[in-house]
Amino acid sequence: MSRLVVSDLSVNRVELPVVSQVSLIAESGAISVLLGANGAGKTTLLEGLSGIIPVAGGRIELDGREIHKARPGLRSREGLAHVEQGRTVFRQLTTEENLKVGLSREAELAQAYDLFPELVQRRTVRAGLLSGGEQQMLVIARALLTQPKVLLIDEMSAGLAPVIVTRLMNAVRRLADEGLAILLVEQFAALALSIGDRAYVMRRGRIVHDGACKVLARTPDELHRLYLGTEAA
Amino acid sequence: MDALLTSAVAGLTAGGTYALLGVCAVFTYRLVSVVNFTGAAIGTAGTFALIALTEAGYPTWPSVLAGILVGAFVGVAIGYVMTRWFAESSASTKAAVTVALLVGLIAVGLRLTGGQHPHVMPELFPGSAFRMAGVEVTFASVLTIGLAVLFTVLSDLFLNRTGVGLHLRALSDRPMAAELLGVKVQLLSLLVWGLTGAFTTFALMIIAPQRSPNFMTLSLLVVPALAAALVGLFRSFWLTLAGGILLGVIEGMASTVDSISQYRSAIPFLVVLAVLLWSQREARWDDAR
Amino acid sequence: MTRASLRASLALVVALAVGGAAVVGLLPSYWVFLATSVLITGVALQSLGLVAGRTGMIALCQMSFAGVGAWTVGYLNLAEAPGGLTVWILLGGLAAVPFGVAIGLPALRLRGINLAIVTLSFATAFDTILATITYPGQTTFLQVPRPALFDSDGGYFVFVLIVYAVIAVALEFLARSRLGASWLAVRHSERAAAAHGVSIAASKLSAFAISAFIAGISGGLLAGYLGTLVAENFSMMASLSLYAVAVMTGAHFAEGAIIGGLLVVMFPEILRRFDLPQDIGNVLFAIGATQALSTGETMSETFRRLARKLRPARRTKVADAPVSDLPAPVAHAVPVALEIDNLSVRYGSVVALDHVSLKVPAGTVAGLIGPNGAGKSTFIDAVTGFLHAYDGSVKLAGAALEARPAHLRARAGVRRTWQTNRIAPELTVGGYLNLAAKGLTQAEIEAVLDWLDCPDPEVPVTTVDAGTRRLLDVAGVVAARPAVVLLDEPAAGQSHEESVRLGQRIAQIPKLFGSAVLLVEHDMDLVRSVCSEITVLDFGKVIASGPPAKVLSEPAVKKAYLGIEEESVAA
Repeated sequence: MSRLVVSDLSVNRVELPVVSQVSLIAESGAISVLLGANGAGKTTLLEGLSGIIPVAGGRIELDGREIHKARPGLRSREGLAHVEQGRTVFRQLTTEENLKVGLSREAELAQAYDLFPELVQRRTVRAGLLSGGEQQMLVIARALLTQPKVLLIDEMSAGLAPVIVTRLMNAVRRLADEGLAILLVEQFAALALSIGDRAYVMRRGRIVHDGACKVLARTPDELHRLYLGTEAA
Repeated sequence: MDALLTSAVAGLTAGGTYALLGVCAVFTYRLVSVVNFTGAAIGTAGTFALIALTEAGYPTWPSVLAGILVGAFVGVAIGYVMTRWFAESSASTKAAVTVALLVGLIAVGLRLTGGQHPHVMPELFPGSAFRMAGVEVTFASVLTIGLAVLFTVLSDLFLNRTGVGLHLRALSDRPMAAELLGVKVQLLSLLVWGLTGAFTTFALMIIAPQRSPNFMTLSLLVVPALAAALVGLFRSFWLTLAGGILLGVIEGMASTVDSISQYRSAIPFLVVLAVLLWSQREARWDDAR
Repeated sequence: MTRASLRASLALVVALAVGGAAVVGLLPSYWVFLATSVLITGVALQSLGLVAGRTGMIALCQMSFAGVGAWTVGYLNLAEAPGGLTVWILLGGLAAVPFGVAIGLPALRLRGINLAIVTLSFATAFDTILATITYPGQTTFLQVPRPALFDSDGGYFVFVLIVYAVIAVALEFLARSRLGASWLAVRHSERAAAAHGVSIAASKLSAFAISAFIAGISGGLLAGYLGTLVAENFSMMASLSLYAVAVMTGAHFAEGAIIGGLLVVMFPEILRRFDLPQDIGNVLFAIGATQALSTGETMSETFRRLARKLRPARRTKVADAPVSDLPAPVAHAVPVALEIDNLSVRYGSVVALDHVSLKVPAGTVAGLIGPNGAGKSTFIDAVTGFLHAYDGSVKLAGAALEARPAHLRARAGVRRTWQTNRIAPELTVGGYLNLAAKGLTQAEIEAVLDWLDCPDPEVPVTTVDAGTRRLLDVAGVVAARPAVVLLDEPAAGQSHEESVRLGQRIAQIPKLFGSAVLLVEHDMDLVRSVCSEITVLDFGKVIASGPPAKVLSEPAVKKAYLGIEEESVAA
């Protein structure tokens, strides 16, 4: 049972406060969905969590251990994996080589191919030539092979067709059911809410909503208001 | 004509050295994104360790080994400075740092090696290997060229067939993504610096007897090395290799023509100018800025 | 700008005069002799400061240019040319310029590192050439004569001091001019500079040529100082260590060049007195330069930063400037300011933009929105000329922009702001505005700054917080009054109140300045209140366009942002 607890986290980008006092939790077996329009600070939050950007205030605890001062490599070894937005495949390496990069001793390539059989026939293809959907599967599988406890996924559905997004969402649900703690950042609410357990909504760097996914999915007007509507006075 | 051919062949030793130094420069650039102006100076440090040991009476070959280790160590030290404080810096800043470090390194080197007074440098591979078209080809030239080719081939194998090589290739493409996957980015970078330091040292040890060993002049062999690397556009090992050898051969030939012989150190400059003019066509926006 | 230049120049001249008088009056002639050397080194450092410190280029052959100047003076002396040292020095400087241009030109349009390589290889080549040419007149023991008035050691010191002061004053004026600002801008961000209409190649070349000129002058001064010279004076090592010193002290500041000169000349002198090896100096310079590069702050900048803390807080907000002081709006006569027709962009197999068409009518504020990855950044880059190639057409006030590079499009009337801040921190607020919009009066600059709640023109950008810098970015493009202004997420990171205020300002831009506006934003409140028409992009295609209220409630748009279909609500 793993637990990622984020308390009052603030992260700045070049002195601009992009994330202010955010608190959230991700637990084994559950998917925490983080929604919000672009510019809300979701990516910056994840980068603060994984260590790409240093934290300006607050705490990050993984299974009780404080990790907000550690370098990204160390956080990764502690069990925090971050799938960045933009499908950061190693373009000159083949699919299989990509998978091997983070391959932990206890993991096996078979785990990746089991989750995404589509990758098997693309094993020897250079990752830069894969389709968007295949690249997204690759980066998720690649992170999985580091045997993480917590998986942060940033906007995996960006630029992908709905049928592929559904495929990916189902795979993520399966990972959670198998024991991973997942924090799923998305712009496209509907599918994320349908597989998620807990929903957070960010706006202008702060959490403006914290509740159950099922409830938010049933009140699209509320969601609409949080995203596109006028700010509550 | 004969003299021209002889001198062209004589230039092969220098050419082999330039080729190896150039290939190391491309290797460093491609893997850790640094244009390294201290490349030759690192090798010079190791070479002078060899000189110091042999002058003190130690046997040659163990001293060679010690010198190579010294070179690797100096390389790692410079690599440490780069990875510790300049990992996120722009390519321009990193290059400027290596220029600054070169100044310091030459100053320390000259001081420790007694300035510019001559040293006795053991000739590691004396004699000629074979005759080609009536011209003597020395062991030294065969070895330096062979070493350059070996480095190119080995690095190809190393990068593409080993686990460490895989991590290095990932690192050179996206350092942050690699770090997020647990790749030990700093350690691997230091490995690159150490390896290139070792190879550069050995190459310079071979050529040093031909070039009055003086810390400064050896360190400034970085100029033809970078010229060779530019011929390879800092991308292709084989083109760099060819560029380095060609540079040495042209220099050799120029030494026979009395009118231009004393200006032959200007040849790398002309090569650089030619390559840049040719590359102008591809002028594009720098990604970061 | 001239006021500030005059003030700084006056302070400089006074400081130099006082210092110079102290040296000549109080010190024994040996130290006066050394002090002259400090100043000559200072001139060489000033030249490096311009090209390396200000424009950010790595130039490793400065002493070679000095050598050209020195040898020219020697030849002029040998030929008994008229004019004396004063004229010869200038000719020596001019002689160095073609070398600078020939070396710099090939490297300018490529990445900066190429310049480092070509200058270092030139320094090597020049070393060997110089080694074969003895200094003109050396074999006949001919010395380069100093000007009659300044023949003694003290006299020559004064001569060099005057030359140093003249160059320093010229550089002060140059630094505050638009050209000087363009150098700092090019150093910090080439794209941002081009977006203001600056030709990067011309900017770099002018810096390189002027610096070669000044370096040539320093060589000539050295000739008069020593009478005759040797190649070692201008060796490659000298160029390299000079570079390290310039990086360490910040030679583009007046005090940086002097401090550098003191270090280069006095440090070995002091070491000699303590019987220590004199080349430790180079190690110090190496460490100092590395330190400056890692912190991003040179010695001069450290002193200035500390000095700012001691001074009382100056007024940072512009006193209320009347709206009537704003620069007059430029009437752009065409009905459609910007017309994009079937714009398509592919990156390999990925289609970033797919036949996007958009019109921005003159006098309006149009909006462009869309989820992340929709293609908005690609769109702006294509329109403003930062993309290598695209299909379709971009017309500005009826004229096609296709063949033109970014800086020419900016000059034609398309200006843009940036998501990430690209304003060179070394500029002042006023200097930046002058760069972005040339030809404004001081009153007009203050009016624009006040209108957007920006600080006083004298304030250095480095002290301005990131959010205000975004507003400054907007102020710059707006003040230029182009035909169309593209604002890229100007409200990012702002509070609700601040973005409301910004929205009010943006809405006034067409009327006050005559420019049409295309606003790219994520802040829906802002878009809703400010734009008369918006276009929505998704997957590189236009999926809706029209008035905000209507578009934002369209099902297709909701789906694009939220992934929610109207019908699936029931589930």
